[in-house]
Amino acid sequence: MSGAVGREPVFPTRQSLGLMKSKLKGAETGHSLLKRKSEALTKRFREITRRIDEAKRKMGRVMQIAAFSLAEVSYAVGGDIGYQVQESAKQARFRVRAKQENVSGVFLPQFESYTQEGVNDFALTGLGKGGQQIQRCRETYARAVETLVELASLQTAFLILDEVIKVVNRRVNAIEHVIIPRTENTIKYINSELDELDREEFYRLKKVSGKKQRDNAAADAEILAARKKAEAEEAAGAVAAAEPEAAPEAADVLGEQEDNDVIF
Amino acid sequence: MEGLFFNVNGGFVEGIVRGYRNSLLTGQNYSNLTQCETIDDVKLQLGPAYGDFLASLPPNPSTSALAGKMTDKLVSEFRYLVAQSVGSTAKFLEYLTYGYMIDNIALLITGTLHERDTRELLERCHPLGWFETLPVLCVATNIEELYNSVLIETPLAPYFKGSLSHHDLDELNIEIVRNTLYKNYLEDFYNFVQTHPDFSGPTQEIMSEILQFEADRRAINITLNSFGTELSKQERRKLYPEFGNLYPEGSLMLSRAEDVEGVALAVSAVSDYKSFFDAVGLSQGGGGLGGMGGGPADGKSLEDLFYQKEMEMSKFVFTRQFTPAVVYAWMKLKEQEIRNVTWISECIAQNQKERIGNFISVF
Amino acid sequence: MYPRYLYGVLTTTFVVVGLYMLFQGEGEAFNVGRFLEEVSPYAWANIGIGLCIGCSTIGASWGIFLTGSSIVGGGVRAPRIRTKNLISIIFCEVVAIYGVIIAIIFSSKLSPVPESQLYTQNNYYTGYALFWGGITVGFCNLICGISVGINGSGAALADAADPSLFVRILVIEIFSSVLGLFGLIIGLLVGGKALDMGAA
Repeated sequence: MSGAVGREPVFPTRQSLGLMKSKLKGAETGHSLLKRKSEALTKRFREITRRIDEAKRKMGRVMQIAAFSLAEVSYAVGGDIGYQVQESAKQARFRVRAKQENVSGVFLPQFESYTQEGVNDFALTGLGKGGQQIQRCRETYARAVETLVELASLQTAFLILDEVIKVVNRRVNAIEHVIIPRTENTIKYINSELDELDREEFYRLKKVSGKKQRDNAAADAEILAARKKAEAEEAAGAVAAAEPEAAPEAADVLGEQEDNDVIF
Repeated sequence: MEGLFFNVNGGFVEGIVRGYRNSLLTGQNYSNLTQCETIDDVKLQLGPAYGDFLASLPPNPSTSALAGKMTDKLVSEFRYLVAQSVGSTAKFLEYLTYGYMIDNIALLITGTLHERDTRELLERCHPLGWFETLPVLCVATNIEELYNSVLIETPLAPYFKGSLSHHDLDELNIEIVRNTLYKNYLEDFYNFVQTHPDFSGPTQEIMSEILQFEADRRAINITLNSFGTELSKQERRKLYPEFGNLYPEGSLMLSRAEDVEGVALAVSAVSDYKSFFDAVGLSQGGGGLGGMGGGPADGKSLEDLFYQKEMEMSKFVFTRQFTPAVVYAWMKLKEQEIRNVTWISECIAQNQKERIGNFISVF
Repeated sequence: MYPRYLYGVLTTTFVVVGLYMLFQGEGEAFNVGRFLEEVSPYAWANIGIGLCIGCSTIGASWGIFLTGSSIVGGGVRAPRIRTKNLISIIFCEVVAIYGVIIAIIFSSKLSPVPESQLYTQNNYYTGYALFWGGITVGFCNLICGISVGINGSGAALADAADPSLFVRILVIEIFSSVLGLFGLIIGLLVGGKALDMGAA
């Protein structure tokens, strides 16, 4: 798995390690948060699905009754009143108000229906005959539309929630299966690189220190030899002449002479 | 005396109408129809009675298409009668179409008021209410023009004259216009059958009875339907036809009625209507309009009872001879038949079989 | 309205002329007896025969159009009624035949006689008998024809509605067609006593 995910193109430095670690932490926090959000939304989603089911069944019944009451009207009036009703309607009696509901950060539109009392544009339709049936039919249809509005509000919420849940789940999955493994991989990589570096450094240091020891040993031996020589000279009696030459030898590291190349 | 001369002009028409009446659906047909499972079955059952008219319908037609075809048959039969009739019978048949004309004109006025293209509306007009100058109504673009230059030319002009001005057309609700026209029409029709010398005898008796009933029914319906609307009592009173069993005392009481009980009280003088109100339980207070809402126990509403009564009267018209009133009765019966079939097919289409028996059949 | 004015004008004219003649001493002009005596028995007899056949034919044709229009109308939707209901037409037609029979019998009593033998008691009797006999038969047949016609019209429509009604209405129709027969019998009896003109 981790092989497929790859890692981020970073330089394996300690800084980027820190960055990655904080990123991983952030991703984990985000993951758990999103997971919880997704759960909350799914819960809501299920509830809405259930209510849509109910509303649809109800709508089936109500629409049937409504259609039947229209049949009653056409029976009582004995003609087509559609056009007349259509033309005499000027103001909406049945109105819909939209408001928003916040579910875990998702704004769901909600439609609320209400009837404007006193607006009754075709109250006189069927005055001669069938008026009561028409009014009754209108009430039945108002109820049917109420159900429709409820259903519409639920459906919209359903669609939006569906979309949001999809997005959230995608995010959760992305975090869970891509970002976190990748960050972890990166961290692992950085760690391994850093370890490698450490080991190299250690080896180098060892090498350097070994060389230094060798040099030191050589210098020591030289000094020892010189000292022995001086002692011998001193012993020979030329102590004063040999003494100043030894000091420049020791300061030679920073001197003008080239250092010997250090070859690893 | 009517027997001596009626047949000179009307014998053939009457014979045809009686033939038409015999092809009306009977109780047996209806019970067959109610057994149908699909609209196609209904169509099949109607086959013998309607024949070619239903043949052009697609399989499983909509109920409205079915009703449309049935109306087409009514129209073609009626047109045949009109073509065959002469003299006072022709005039009588013309009167029958005025009711439909009122509907058509109301439709066109509505269209003109809302500045629609009234030509499209012509297709929606009832074919029985068609008259030669009807398409001319579409020329008018505003209501004043319509009133001043066009409506005057229609056969309905006398009904506009004196009771409606073009301002009224503009301001009043179209339903009030329609009902005013209808009131004038009923009064005119009543006057026509009362005074025309050719109609003394059975026509006058029958038509007076039927038209009085029609007038009363309108008055009662208008009163019941106007509760809870902006129609004032004075305006309401203007819509009552000025004849009928209820006129004048009952009409006056109706115009003062404020609720269903008031209406029941107003009509209590006429035993028929009283029994209707008793039957639907409206006269015993408390029932209120709820009685209309849920429908009474036996499933009959006041409208149904009125229709029932109308059908009974129409049926009895056929016991009389030598009168064009049979045409009127036949048309009413036929319309009821179309309504019944529509109802039955609607019940079948919507799978609401429990109320399928709620139609009115008198044969 | 128009006929009513006409009646008024006619009555007034007659009254004015009558009163004028009465007051001018010419009241004798209204002499019914002389009028009856002076009118030729031939005139009476021929008017009677004419009325007999005329009224019978009117009655028959009236009945036929009453029945016929209903049969034609009812036959549009119920073609089966057309043959059966021809019987109503025949009943009507019979009425005209009664008239023809009586008219032939009556006319056989007429023969030319010299003027001197014209104003005899027998001839007076024959003239009046033929006149009133003819009127009796004519009007009987007229009424009978109308009656059969109305019945036949009803029979046609009833038959179209319900075939079982036809026979019942036909019985009633027979009763009304018998009315014409009554007239025929009385016409024969009245005319039977009259001797041929100039026979005496």
